[in-house]
Amino acid sequence: MSRWRVGVDSGGTFTDICLFDEQEGKVETWKVPSTPDDPSRGIAQGVEEGMRRVAPDEKNPAAPIVYFGHGTTVATNALIQHRGVKTGLVTTDGFRDLLEIGRQKRPDLYDIQADKPLTLVPRDLRLEVPERLRHTGEVDVPLDEDKMRAAARALKAAGVKAVAVSFLYGFIRPDHEKRAVKILREEMPDAFISAGHEIAPEFREYERLSTVVLNAYLGPVMENYIRRLSPRLEALGMTATPHLTQSNGGVIGFATAAEMPVRTVLSGPSTGVVGAQAIGRLAGFEDLITFDMGGTSTDVALLQGGRCRLAAEATVHGYPIKAPMLDIHTVGAGGGSIAYIDSGGLLKVGPRSAGADPGPACYDKGNPEPAVTDANVVLQTLNPKHLLGGRMKIRRDLAEQAIARLAGQLGLGVPQTAQGILSVVTANMARAIRVISVQRGHDPRDYTLMAFGGAGPLHAARLASELEIGRVLVPANPGILCAMGLLLTDLRADFAHTRLMPATEASTAAVAEGFSALAERAERWFAHEGIASADRHITRTVDMRYHGQNYELSVAAPDGPISQATLQALATGFADVHRQRYGFVADGDPVQIVTLRVEATGAVRKAELRAHPEAGPDASGAIVQRRKVWLAEAGDFVDTPVYGREALRPGNRFSGPAIVEQMDATTLVPAGWTARVDSYLNLILEAPT
Amino acid sequence: MKTLDPITVEVIGAAMASIVEETGETLIRASHSTNIKERRDCSTALFNAAGDTLCQAEHIPIHLGSFLDLIKHIMRRYPTQDIRPGDAFIGNDAYEGGGTHLPDIVVAEPIFVDGHMVAWTVNLAHHADFVDRGHAHIYQEGLRIPPVRLYRGGELQKDVQDLILLNCQVPSERLSDLRAQMAANRVGVQRFQALSAKYGIDTVLSAGAALMDYAERKMRAAIAAIPDGTWRFEDVFDNEEVKELLPMSVEVTVKGEEMSLAFDAPEQMRAGFNMTYTALLATTYYIVKSVLDPAIPPNAGLARPLRITAPEGSILNCLPPAAVNGRLQTCQRVSDMILGALAQPVPERVMACSNSACVVAYFIGKRPDDGSTWVYLETIGGGSGARAHKDGLDGVHVHTTNTSNLPVEALEIEYPLLLTRYELVEDSGGVGRYRGGMGLRRVYQATHDCRVRVDISRQRSKSWGLFGGGPGAHGKVEPGPDVVFEGDSAVLKTGQWFAVVTPGAGGFGPPQQRDPAAAARDLKEGAISRATARDIYGLSR
Repeated sequence: MSRWRVGVDSGGTFTDICLFDEQEGKVETWKVPSTPDDPSRGIAQGVEEGMRRVAPDEKNPAAPIVYFGHGTTVATNALIQHRGVKTGLVTTDGFRDLLEIGRQKRPDLYDIQADKPLTLVPRDLRLEVPERLRHTGEVDVPLDEDKMRAAARALKAAGVKAVAVSFLYGFIRPDHEKRAVKILREEMPDAFISAGHEIAPEFREYERLSTVVLNAYLGPVMENYIRRLSPRLEALGMTATPHLTQSNGGVIGFATAAEMPVRTVLSGPSTGVVGAQAIGRLAGFEDLITFDMGGTSTDVALLQGGRCRLAAEATVHGYPIKAPMLDIHTVGAGGGSIAYIDSGGLLKVGPRSAGADPGPACYDKGNPEPAVTDANVVLQTLNPKHLLGGRMKIRRDLAEQAIARLAGQLGLGVPQTAQGILSVVTANMARAIRVISVQRGHDPRDYTLMAFGGAGPLHAARLASELEIGRVLVPANPGILCAMGLLLTDLRADFAHTRLMPATEASTAAVAEGFSALAERAERWFAHEGIASADRHITRTVDMRYHGQNYELSVAAPDGPISQATLQALATGFADVHRQRYGFVADGDPVQIVTLRVEATGAVRKAELRAHPEAGPDASGAIVQRRKVWLAEAGDFVDTPVYGREALRPGNRFSGPAIVEQMDATTLVPAGWTARVDSYLNLILEAPT
Repeated sequence: MKTLDPITVEVIGAAMASIVEETGETLIRASHSTNIKERRDCSTALFNAAGDTLCQAEHIPIHLGSFLDLIKHIMRRYPTQDIRPGDAFIGNDAYEGGGTHLPDIVVAEPIFVDGHMVAWTVNLAHHADFVDRGHAHIYQEGLRIPPVRLYRGGELQKDVQDLILLNCQVPSERLSDLRAQMAANRVGVQRFQALSAKYGIDTVLSAGAALMDYAERKMRAAIAAIPDGTWRFEDVFDNEEVKELLPMSVEVTVKGEEMSLAFDAPEQMRAGFNMTYTALLATTYYIVKSVLDPAIPPNAGLARPLRITAPEGSILNCLPPAAVNGRLQTCQRVSDMILGALAQPVPERVMACSNSACVVAYFIGKRPDDGSTWVYLETIGGGSGARAHKDGLDGVHVHTTNTSNLPVEALEIEYPLLLTRYELVEDSGGVGRYRGGMGLRRVYQATHDCRVRVDISRQRSKSWGLFGGGPGAHGKVEPGPDVVFEGDSAVLKTGQWFAVVTPGAGGFGPPQQRDPAAAARDLKEGAISRATARDIYGLSR
């Protein structure tokens, strides 16, 4: 029986399937429209269709799947669109407004029109109960269980579906939170409950509270999603444990994801970064800006030396989250974004999206408003008759009608208006890339733009021109790079334990004990994920600071049993890191250990991409048709060759203007640009010098 | 100076912005005192060799006031040829050191490229020290430090450091924070030199000049979009240090692409709320940029089309030896007055009066374990004014300040205090078509004896609404049983408590025009009382 590893990336518009044959080492891809009302339907359909293509004789199409990895935007979308569930909060008496006050800073230093992000729990659903701990863990006021029970009943009566519980110092002594959770479960057995000591057992009450509230708000959404998806996959005969990408680029099992949805808010985009990293390394480009433009949104990230910055805490769509995350910037614009004229008479694009249903006007599903895709169809940069390699018919006339309405209001021609839409989109994307490059001190001109997602390759060269980036890399399967990333990443989980102690030999036993508890949790996780002992890997780090500082530096702990020598090594390591980071060492000042961390990695067999033999520069055999394409530089429709991506061979070279079509994406090579195919079938575009 | 393409200018501008951000992060992370490491009461900036601001980090607008003349003060005292790599100047004086009050200690280090001094990296940290002092004149307020070398060619001047530390109440914390300030400047020097190595120093300095021109152009364009005219606005100032209400005014005149702001105020007083001229400039730059175009880069160019005057020796342009420690209360009032004047030509762009204060609570006591002195201060946000189409923000810092609160869990670990409530105050936001932001209540309990002082404003005046909107509620201090405030100060015995209530902000437009659904939501969420809902908004329920 064949063995397949399957990656599924479910986006706002399309669901991408990547299938890797473990025996043959080959990659197959498939793509179906997403089903936003219930994304699991589209996923099951895509998996079934994809598997039937590669294993047509199988009675249960998903039976040969030995690994199933999944990236999803379910949590992100619910957060952006504020479609989480009605959530209640139970917190320490006197502190219900903390969720709204946050750190008392205004949302923008200078813009007096700026607003704070919506508070996810309204004030009347934020309930206070008498209880109070001191920082030592000592109980100042015991939990008033009657009032706690009354709060649970009040929240139930209000129709709340999820409850967050976060008390001051709950991370030091979780007794009150545990008791509150128990009462909530008794009174509201159907509600999703999240508690601070479980979700983010770390110092600083507001950021912890925000994380817990978000987890509760998204919990039922994710749970419901997984509850629908799992049986559909089982019905197809799949027996492998399904996995989901976390915001840090590693993957976790479905069960963990359902408990901690807050760790998956960047699931989809981080999968793309992992894929880009692997493809870039093979192609020899390690300084990359990733440009993942889908139907609804676009994600950009910067990889320096093949690595994307990892943050221990980040603010996502205005909400602080304590969880490890890749540094990814998202803008709410993609191929499905709708173009309109604003109150000031300016042409704007997005953030409203036509999505997959009804989709752009050209889909003929009843949407009369022009989307970015319609502009490309009118200009014939996209195939004017069908998409998805012929599987999906479209109507150019509807796209034209939609754009003509805007053109009328603007007093411009239809192609000029369509071109204007693309220019606005390009400028928006350039701004997003500046956030992760120039604003962090990186010059985008030193980087290669890696374009993927269904719409990335179509807009990449123009975007590169805007930023003076000289090179664009379009991977072999740009539309499914995220899905591919799922087959290139290891399983990963992080375990942490906050416990303040002096970084001296006197703490040897406590550190040993702490790490052994973490190692135990890691081992349980390895066993749960079915990882063979040889594939288990553990990295230990310690967050340390001078007594009196509030920010810690991460110091690697040496391997082997914890001894007094380990503590000495940590102290030396801390001094080195501190000197390197801040340029001084405060000799004699006491050093503290704050958090012990274990990163557990389970190595899995990854898809191995193979180099293909050179076939010479002549690309003319790959030309499948010629069509008139509007070129902004010419200001007119120009007869342009269309290359079939599947027919392009390593070593092939050609110049723009040209269009490259493939099942999951279309690439535009503007006039003056050159294109070549490398041995991994990546398309590399170079700007005119 | 060479002419550069716009992309290079933008990239270098953004790189300088990221340098000041990174130096700021370094300062915050390496520091020891809560006021810097958690509350982020600090700022960083880059200056060119002439002392003009190249870039200021987005931290605390009033800190620009300390930076404005600093380099010029240094250059006046020390010949350029005597300034060497590795020199670091420390200063804080409001009149001689480029400061706006003494706790803000500035450390400036010159940046050398190819043997030439080309720029300065500067940072300011508000040291939580110099508390429990008098405010009759500046000599009572702490140690005055003109710019002097703390480091000479990379060598610590220990005698200077010893002199400073002996004048501080918590010297060990000061020492650690000064080291963090040095660490931040080290990053600034390295990053700026790397930027010069990449683009060439001429290009970097030309880009700096181009960015100032760009800021000036944007400022001029924004002023030109306002119709010509003169608008006057008056308010009063009050706090515990004065019995009377002090009248203040501003007259804003727009003519073409230039704007002048003429302030008037009573003579400077034996009190801490006087403002130096640089504080007035920093405040005005901040608020004018916010109203006109928040996207103008924060460099010296934006000041060129502005003319700012106030009578010398007045509260708003004080001369030595006026005390200045509490100048932020006055800066906030100045910001709101400018908004009041600009409400006449551009009502859509402004907001009603915010809490118009920067409420500060100061604590000093002896640690129960070792008897050493502890000092803590924090500032508390309040209501932000309602806008032409939106409610004001509740419980935030406004205008010239923007510090974080200290997490309760950090406060109680560090100091013998217990925080028992931290909440928004019902009915404190001014009524209106759009409601003013609510003030905050913060309740402190002493777990060991200490002294407290609260600097607050708007106890006797109120933050005004615009176009029919109502005023915000008063600020106040609520003492617990047996706690007695004499003026602004009190002694707290173990177990005693008091509350600080910060002012609410003004509403915008008549309350009769408020969307009934919004009023109903306010009632449900407890933002307004049943009485307000019934009597002002006419809700029957």
